[in-house]
Formats: sequence, structure tokens, C-alpha cells
Amino acid sequence: MKHPILWIHGEALGPSNPALVAYPGRPAVFVFDTALLEGATPAQSLSLKRIGFLYECLLELPVTLRRGDVAEQVLAFAGAHGADGIVTSAATDPRFKAICRQLEPHLPLQVLEPEPFVVLEPEPNLGRFSRYWRQAERAVWAQWATAPGPR
Amino acid sequence: MATPPRSGVPLAWPEQPGDLPRQFTSRDSLERELKQLFPQAEGGLSPIEGGRRRAEELLTRIQPQRYGKGRNFLDGPVTRLSPYIRHGVLTLAEVRDAVFRRTRERQSSEKLINELGWRDYWQRLWRQLGDGIWHDQEALKTGHASNSYASDLPDDIATGSTGLACMDGFIAELHSSGWLHNHARMWLASYLVHWRRLRWQVGARWFLQHLLDGDPASNNLSWQWVASSFSHKPYIFNRSNLERYSGGRFCSACCLRDRGCPFEASYEDLDSRLFQR
Ligand SMILES: Cc1cc2nc3c(=O)[nH]c(=O)nc-3n(C[C@H](O)[C@H](O)[C@H](O)COP(=O)(O)OP(=O)(O)OC[C@H]3O[C@@H](n4cnc5c(N)ncnc54)[C@H](O)[C@@H]3O)c2cc1C
Repeated sequence: MKHPILWIHGEALGPSNPALVAYPGRPAVFVFDTALLEGATPAQSLSLKRIGFLYECLLELPVTLRRGDVAEQVLAFAGAHGADGIVTSAATDPRFKAICRQLEPHLPLQVLEPEPFVVLEPEPNLGRFSRYWRQAERAVWAQWATAPGPR
Repeated sequence: MATPPRSGVPLAWPEQPGDLPRQFTSRDSLERELKQLFPQAEGGLSPIEGGRRRAEELLTRIQPQRYGKGRNFLDGPVTRLSPYIRHGVLTLAEVRDAVFRRTRERQSSEKLINELGWRDYWQRLWRQLGDGIWHDQEALKTGHASNSYASDLPDDIATGSTGLACMDGFIAELHSSGWLHNHARMWLASYLVHWRRLRWQVGARWFLQHLLDGDPASNNLSWQWVASSFSHKPYIFNRSNLERYSGGRFCSACCLRDRGCPFEASYEDLDSRLFQR
């Protein structure tokens, strides 16, 4: 991709968003998802506090703000900028995958992984936190041993 | 008092019709415009401000060494970073590294790192379960059938007028600021599910509407932990627990201070009163 646009979503509203890091200065867009705001999902409609919090985070990022159907808006933004692809960051919310499926038929989509808290191989057993933590705690603290800084 | 202007960082590309505004003369004008843009959204702005600048300020104030002992107290040294972490303003990895930078001996920072682990754990479960986080993970251990729990949020809870100073205080804070201390979330959730016999999903939905850190995974699975569909037993508390960790601030001003407090009992009594086992 030579001139992609960046799709920023609500799980990565900081400067370490890997799409912003990989393509600094490229046009970026965030879409307030009307269906989500109005409570089409199992969650209820969002209060103005939450929208305002997101808005203030977004004002500190170089990103155009839109409202409506996410895939439609992202594709229209890509069209307006003559983009040859879309770059975004991975998200956990299942809505993210659904939106990706709507984008992919139209333009190449690159999904970048944000820096993980801890990498676990093999995949941990998530039955209870204590099981997960037995494996994860060791791996997290192994990173402290190599982290720069005072000791 | 007038607040300073809110200006978005400049964009290197031209605006298009339909772009939402990025320049406001003050926080009040931001609030006014958002009310017009999102007429279905209830309430006003939270006193908690969004943005990386504010997140970094909070990050410089974390106290990993005091956290372990003090975190359960409402006025304890918790970080208040959750809204910023939830929305990736700061990544969990950045917070982890900030804790590491302040760590001379591992043991004193273990608890805070462990709590960050809870977030990572819930996110991994969400990836595995998808929308399944809205369903009971296991049968309830309360002895009550799941269909005996109510499906509507009662008015006195929606309006914060239960007459219990603690619960009304938590509800007011949830509504006005969108952030609650972990212990307050546990007490409020437990009151709704076990004392008021409400389906946990009703409370979870209500929290997600208001919490700035509202995250379906951390939230729903914590509600399930309280309800006992994702733990070995239901979570309950009593007055002496709440009074201790809130520094007595609610009980001293409560109408039910001297009699009628539904939380004034031993755990054994509450257990037999609330559950059928
Ligand atoms: C009923 C209920 C609902 C909850 N809903 C949410 C929610 O929607 N979003 C949310 O982020 N947290 C939720 N939590 C977890 C916890 O209450 C908050 O993360 C914490 O209170 C946030 O305050 P803090 O940033 O000062 O946390 P700190 O104690 O300073 O912890 C630092 C960070 O670790 C993470 N963390 C700490 N404790 C937990 C925990 N138990 N579960 C998951 N992450 C944790 C958070 O990202 C937090 O910012 C819920 C807990 C309960 C009991």
C-alpha cells in the first residue's frame, strides 16, 4: 500500500496506535457508530459522558471525525482520498471483525497488532484467572528483568 | 468559570462536508455541540477529561508500592487509569512499563501488575467467547432459578433514591462522573443482584451506559463473578466491610444508621437470608 487511509477505532485512541505509528501523516478517520450509540447491540445507548470522553481523546489525535455506519463512512473517506488500502489496529470487540468483513471486498485491509501486555505460548487455559496468571505472571516479570530503568 | 478552548490538533488534509467539528471555544461549548450532535445521549460531560495529556499526568502519579495495601479503600492509591486503558489512550504495555520503571524490588509492585493482568485476562476471554459474555458461563450458586431474577432496572435504582446513603452515593457518582472505585462497583453490583434479585445483565447494561471505562468483557464478567455464574460462590458484603473501606462516610449520614440497614448482619446470617442452599 502506497497511500492508504487509517481507520482509528475506540480501542486505540492513543499515539501508540500501530497504524498511526506505521503511517504518520496519512489521513485518518474515526466514525461514531450510530447503531452502537443508539443501543442496537446488547449494550444500552451510551450516555453523553462516554461520547464526550471519546471526543476529547480524539481531539488530541490527527483524525477526521464522522458519524454514521462505520464501514460506509470509512469507505467514503478512502474514496475521497483516492486511497489504495485501509490500515487499522486489531481490536477485541466482535463488532470489529464484522466491520472488517464489510471493508475487505472493497479495498485491501491491513490490521496491525498493538504491543501486547504479555505473549503466551502455548495459549493459556482461561478457565479461571488463577490458571492464566500462573503462566502469565512469570512471562510479564521476565520483561521487567530486561526493561531499562533504575533497579 | 470559563474553560480554555478545546482545539483539535491540525489535520494535514482538507475537511469534507459532514466532518464533525474539531474546534470549540470552551469545554462548555463542546458539551453544547455534542448535545446537538447526539440528541439521544443522556446527561452532560463528566468532570473526568479525555485525552493523552491527562492520561500521562495520571501515569506520573501511580504508586505501585502503596497500591497493594491501600487499593481496597475508596480513598486509596488506585490509578484511575481505566478509561484511558479501555480506549487505548494508553496501552496496557505502556502502563506495565511505567510500573516497571518505578520498581526496585519486584514484590512491592506485584499487586498492580496482577490487576493489569485481570484486564488482559478478560480481553482474552472476550476473544474466545465473543457475544457469549452476555450469557451465564455457569449455573448460579445462589439456589435461586435464573428466571426468578427481575429483568427491569427498578426506578429507585435508576434515580439513585433507594434511601441507602451508600448505594445512592455510588449511583450519583456513576451518573455524574462515569467512574467508580472497584469496591463500590462490587458493593453496588452485589446489592442489585443479591438483595434486589435483579438479573446481572440488567446491571451490566446500565453500567456500560455510564462507565467511561465501560468494557463489555471486564464489566460483564465481573458482574458474573459477583452473581456467581463465573465463580464458586456469590459475592456479598456486610455493613462493617463497607463502613471500614469507605471510612464510614456513608453510614454516618444514613437515615438507616441506627436501624433497618439491610447490610447490618454477619456473613452467616446474610448467607441464609439471601440464598437458598
Ligand atoms: C461490577 C464490576 C464492573 C466492572 N466494569 C469494568 C469496566 O467496564 N471496565 C473496566 O475497565 N473495569 C471494570 N471493572 C474492574 C475494575 O473495577 C476497574 O477496572 C477499576 O476499578 C478501575 O479503576 P482504576 O483504573 O483506578 O484501577 P486500578 O486498581 O488502579 O488498576 C489499574 C488498571 O488495571 C485494570 N484493572 C484493575 N482491576 C481490574 C479488574 N478487576 N478487572 C479488569 N481490569 C482491572 C484496569 O485497566 C485499571 O485501570 C469492573 C468491576 C466490577 C466489580
